[in-house]
Amino acid sequence: MVEEQELVTALQTQGAKEAAFRELVAQYKERLYWQIRNMVLDHDDADDVLQNTFIKVFRNIDSFKGESKLHTWMYRIAANESITFLNKKAKRHNVSLDNIKDNAVRKLETDVYFEGDQLQLQFQKAIATLPERQRLIFTMKYFEDHTFEELSEILETSVGGLKSSYHIAVKKITEFIKTNETL
Amino acid sequence: MKKEEYNINFKVPESYFETFEERLFSKMAEENFPKTTGFKIPDHYFENLQVQVLNEVETSEKPKKVIQLFPRKYFGYAAAIAACLILGFTFFNTQHNTSQLDSLQFAAIDTYIEEGNLSLDLYDVTSYIEDEDIANIDLDAKYFTDSSLKEYLLENIDTETLINEQ
Repeated sequence: MVEEQELVTALQTQGAKEAAFRELVAQYKERLYWQIRNMVLDHDDADDVLQNTFIKVFRNIDSFKGESKLHTWMYRIAANESITFLNKKAKRHNVSLDNIKDNAVRKLETDVYFEGDQLQLQFQKAIATLPERQRLIFTMKYFEDHTFEELSEILETSVGGLKSSYHIAVKKITEFIKTNETL
Repeated sequence: MKKEEYNINFKVPESYFETFEERLFSKMAEENFPKTTGFKIPDHYFENLQVQVLNEVETSEKPKKVIQLFPRKYFGYAAAIAACLILGFTFFNTQHNTSQLDSLQFAAIDTYIEEGNLSLDLYDVTSYIEDEDIANIDLDAKYFTDSSLKEYLLENIDTETLINEQ
């Protein structure tokens, strides 16, 4: 695996850029995909957002100054792209963001790319009730195993604030599951 | 039990014990959550993605053929007209100093943004703002009444986070 700094240098050098980008996509496509999928839920939507994320990385790599790590920067772009995508979708359909999330989670019941059981479905429903940023923090920590320190760099928020948001998210999810388990 | 005996050389992060229960119960609750999402992907999705992304990038990078709207022979006329327009604007603008921006209503700007005409998201906007800019913002009381501020805070602030972040 090519070291990150080498990759950045190559990405910013004409002639080496395309090969380096190929390597970058190979290294990060799966990690970024799952981060996005946890936010948008639908595979096709996740595919759109992931492609946009990589295109944005490619177009803006020359202005990347290395103030943060390359992967941190990419995770941040993916996070912003996911939230922007959901907002735009809500705007396009002239409905609220909550409606968009409700629909996405309801569609999971018949989605061929979802093979979760009732508990997993209920879990997704609970996660969908969280505000966007809290949902991002929860899914990135719980499913993708980022540390709070990594999340702090990616989301540019204090570790204390992230921990607190995460615990509130856990509490809300637990309450949702408890309230809805008999339904 | 002598508390001092245990903490001669070691320290704990601030509020560690105060928030211990919260973290413990959160951890216990998490134990009951499913460990995986249940999401699937189409076969060979990641292999194909690589090709798709590279094609997309290549297409967007290729220089497009430029069709000249005006043939070169008209450049002289166009330059002369542009010069006249610039001189005209400069002359007439010195006559009226009142800015059009003053008459632009805040409500109109709000509506413009709310209708999604400004293709920036919150993160894009905040990335352009430096700490210094925030300190320099002149929060003139005439734009925000006490009642509208109170209403905004009640609707938008997560009080639990506020309390936890102190």
